[in-house]
Parts: sequence; C-alpha cells; structure tokens
Amino acid sequence: MKDLPDEELFTAGHTACPGCGCPIMVRAAMKIFGPNTVCYFPANCLLVFGATYPQDAFKVPYLHVLFENSAVCASGIKRGLKKLGKGDVNVVAFAGDGGTADIGIQALSGAAERNEDIIYICYDNEAYMNTGIQRSGSTPHGAWTTTTPVGKKIAGKELYKKDVPRIMIAHDVPYVATASIGHPADMLRKLEKARDLKGFRYLQIFAPCPTGWRFDTAKTVQLAKMAVDCGLWTLYEAEDGKVTINKKPKMTPVKDYVKLQGRFRHMTDEQIDSLQEWANKKWERDSAMVIE
Amino acid sequence: MYEVRFHGRGGQGAVMAAQALASAAHIEGNYGVAFPFFGAERRGAPVLAFTRVDKDRIYTKTQIYEPDYVVILDDRLIELVNVAQGLKEIAVAVVNSQKKPEELDLGIPIKTGVVDATSVALEVLGAPITNSSILGAFAKTTGEVKIESIEGGIRDIFGHRIGEELGEKNAKAARAAYEKTEVGTCRGERKMEVKKQWLPTYKELPLGAATRPMQTDAGLVGPGSFIDNKTGSWRTFKPVYDKDKCNMCRFCWFYCPEGCIYDKKEEMVFDFDYCKGCGICANECPKEAIEMVRD
Ligand SMILES: Cc1ncc(C[n+]2csc(CCOP(=O)(O)OP(=O)(O)O)c2C)c(N)n1
Ligand SMILES: [Mg+2]
Repeated sequence: MKDLPDEELFTAGHTACPGCGCPIMVRAAMKIFGPNTVCYFPANCLLVFGATYPQDAFKVPYLHVLFENSAVCASGIKRGLKKLGKGDVNVVAFAGDGGTADIGIQALSGAAERNEDIIYICYDNEAYMNTGIQRSGSTPHGAWTTTTPVGKKIAGKELYKKDVPRIMIAHDVPYVATASIGHPADMLRKLEKARDLKGFRYLQIFAPCPTGWRFDTAKTVQLAKMAVDCGLWTLYEAEDGKVTINKKPKMTPVKDYVKLQGRFRHMTDEQIDSLQEWANKKWERDSAMVIE
Repeated sequence: MYEVRFHGRGGQGAVMAAQALASAAHIEGNYGVAFPFFGAERRGAPVLAFTRVDKDRIYTKTQIYEPDYVVILDDRLIELVNVAQGLKEIAVAVVNSQKKPEELDLGIPIKTGVVDATSVALEVLGAPITNSSILGAFAKTTGEVKIESIEGGIRDIFGHRIGEELGEKNAKAARAAYEKTEVGTCRGERKMEVKKQWLPTYKELPLGAATRPMQTDAGLVGPGSFIDNKTGSWRTFKPVYDKDKCNMCRFCWFYCPEGCIYDKKEEMVFDFDYCKGCGICANECPKEAIEMVRD
C-alpha cells in the first residue's frame, strides 16, 4: 500500500453514494493497472456514478455497451488491439454481481472457455443496486431486496448465494481469485498478479453497499472484514486450477455480521441458523478445493 | 388544487415525504398523488419529488412546473439548484435550515417557513433524516393540512415502509418540527446561472472517440472531467483530523471512496470540495486520529 502511486486514474467528483465500497476497489485497481489500460462496463452502478456523458471519472479509455456481454466486448477489444500491435494494453471489464452471476454469465463462460486475454473483475455488492436493489444470484440467503420482500410467508431471499468463483475455476483458466476491500494487501497483490499474467483472469471483489444493505455509511470496510471473518466470503486464489486459501476464516458467528445490516433485520433465529450452516458448509467446500 | 415540489437529496426520502403529504390530504377527504422525478440520481445528489392535492379526482399527470409550495429538505441545495424555478410571488417555501427566513435568499421574496429539521431529526430519530420533520413545518407554514393529518399520513406511509414503531417516531418528529417552525419572508436577490450544456455537432466530436479531455463552455468534458463536479455539499458530517495522533499508515487514504484524502508526507490533508462525509476514514483509523462532527 505504501508503494501505490498518488495519482488517481479514477478521479474524485464521481457520484457514488457516500460510503460506497465499489470506488474503493476501482481506485486501487486503476492504480495497479496504470494508464496503459482500457475499461469495459456493462450497465451497473459504477457505469452511472463513474461517468455521465460527457463527464467521466476515468482517465483511461472507457467503453460502455450492454449488460449481457462485458466479456465478449472486452475479448473483441483485446483481439483488435493485438492486431494493431498494442497487445500490451490491459483490457479490463468491471461488472456488477448481477451482470456477472446472472445476465452476463453466458458471455463470461464463453470468454473463459476460449481463454481470452482479458481481466474480468466482478465487484460483488450482492444485488442489482443501480436499479434500486433487486436480488441477484449473488444475494445471500435471508436478505431483503425489493424482489425478495419481507412478508408473512416469505421473508427475504429463500435461496443461497451462487458460487461464481468456483464456476470460474471449473473453466480451467490461468487465474481466479476472490478478494475484499477490507483486506487491501491481499486485494492489491491479486490485482497485481492478474495484471502480470496472460490469458483469462477472473477476480470477484466483495464491496458492501450501505444504500442497499441498509447500514451506516462508515461501516463499509468493517462489514467487508466481518464477512471474511464469519466465513460468508472466503479469500482464495486458483492459479491454473491450484487453489490456495489466503485467509482462514475465524468463523465468528454470522449473527454478529447480520445484526449490523437493515437488509437482515427481519431474520428469525432459524433463518440465521440456516445462514450459519451455509457458511460452515462453504468453508468445508472451499477448504476441500486445496489439494495437498 | 395545490401543487408541491420537494427539493431533496437522494436518500433523504423526499419521495416518502411527498407520499405522506398525499396521504395526509387523503385523511382530510381530498385526493392526493405523489411521484418522483425519474433520473439516475444517487444518494446525496439533488433530486425532486412532487405532490398534487385536490378536492376532486386528479386527472393531471404531468410533472409540476409552477408549484404553489416548494419544500427544501436541505438549505445547501439553494446554492446548487434553482429552487425558485416556476414560483409565483404568492408561492410559499418551507426550508430545513438553521438560518432565519430573512437570512435565506431563494431568488424570489416569498413567505417562508423555516425549521432546523436536521437537529429535530437527530434529536427525535437519532439520524439526520429530515423527510418527516419537514412535513410538520409544512403544516405550520401553509395551513393547508392539519398537523394531526400529517401525523396520520406519516404513520401510514412510513409505518408501512419501515415499521409501525419507526412510523410513530417520525410522526413525533413532525410534531416537534411543527412547534419549532418560524415563519417570515425570505430575500429574493439571488440570480441563478443556468448551467450550460455541452451539445456539440458531430463535426466537433473527435474522430474515433466519444470525448477527449476538453474545456468547453459547459466546463470540462471527457476522461477525468468529473473532477469538475464538487460533491462536498452532500455532507452532513465532516472528518476532523488530529495530526498528532496520526502515524501516516495511509489506511484513510486507501479506503476513501472519493480519493479526497491526500498524503502530504508530514500529514494527511482532507479535500472538502469532494468529501461526502461517509465516515469510513474515522471508522478505520487505527489511531483514532479522525473524528466525525456535524458539518
Ligand atoms: C438487458 C438489460 N436489462 C436490464 C437493465 C437495467 N439495469 C441497469 S443496471 C442494472 C443492475 C446492475 O446490477 P449489478 O450488475 O449487480 O451492478 P450494481 O448496480 O449492483 O453495481 C439493471 C437491472 C439493462 N441496462 N439492460
Ligand atoms: Mg450488484
């Protein structure tokens, strides 16, 4: 962190909500990738708060096409640049969890299968935030969203969070990693590694959303750390399929994490138990990926 | 019929206030509709909401251009947006401000009710959410609707959205603000400059790129031009920094979503042109060298 450049390639003046986790990640990522980078965005919050034509927070070329096809467009741009003899340019797609886990997964899977030479970053705020908080495949069990409302029969999302990083590992790509804005050193190292490798690189970075999760804007980073501590988000990386766990979760009670967020306010002890059980299983599954 | 325009910031609940006012009107046997202005606005950015009330059924579906009442949830908006737009001399304003009506300049001298709704909200609700308090001031200033109906409207709309208990608390906030509202006449000297838009012809656009960094009549455009957009006015709280406690770990610099904390080698410097007051720096500082105080 001490060595990061002061220059901001993602400037102040962007219009993210106060306390948004996403720009923390984007600022850091742009410092690592440097000016020799082009970015691609599907529809998401970052696209809207990072640029409203003709104003723009990115100091590098920036493209916006469609919600479904971040990975496709990034692939095409990279191939084009290679033909022009500019193969050294980093091509990065920044997509939300909705644009990754649900609507963009087909394009993502295709690009991964072809081992396109791009970096794909999913910032995971666990719902479709830009359009006003609808559930995505990445929304955790129990969370309130406008499409998983709290009623008498059903309270919050019934299903569990989709494990996209593991789906990506199954594609046998050079690099897959999970990171969190609450663990800067780990995140920066992974961004660096992603920058320096070739082929398809996938990063999923956990970035809390005070507006959608309903918590005090000062607690964004604290909650990101707590999610890792309680095992709801594991930090690991897979290089050519070989998995390393970067931080063993302390397995603190999920309840402590849940308690601080309005989106979980309605949860009964039973629901919290189910979420806890899921966290335990997740750790079993994640740690089992490591082959000694 | 009367028409109301609410000026708020995304997240302040201007829309809920507009709805609660419509509900209050309904309690008194009137018809009421409330609706937001649709845009890509985030939390903290200026937004609009509207309420239209009539004795008879309302068939008008348009936005409100010449409101009878204008409600301003945050007096710093007066500097940013033209709150006087479409107002007639007989219009009435309701403002959340620590100032007196005579000290406010809305760009048109009209009857103005003022209450420090932020303080009321902090006191009654424990959070600077002013959308319920301001409705108390609306009842007091305009006399269009009884405070009891406002309380009812808040219980209805807020109660439904955030639970009965919080609904009741918000009704209390409205009542407290009602008692504290001061009515007078504001000044009308301000001339708002209409922000120019950059509307180039296709010939003026650079080939092969949407925009390059350029200075235009409408300000900077293109890559990096958001630096022109000062977001500092979004703040309710601001960080106060104690240099002596700081160990220059740079965590605040790293975690600041705006990137508006600068490392000046001997000390950290906070840029209040952009700071939105989220409080992450204070929360994460390992030396407790940063404290958030009311701005
Ligand atoms: C095909 C299509 N469907 C729907 C939309 C509307 N839309 C724009 S952004 C968005 C939500 C994006 O969610 P996510 O990818 O999680 O990013 P976030 O907003 O949370 O940052 C939606 C539904 C769209 N632009 N295109
Ligand atoms: Mg999302």
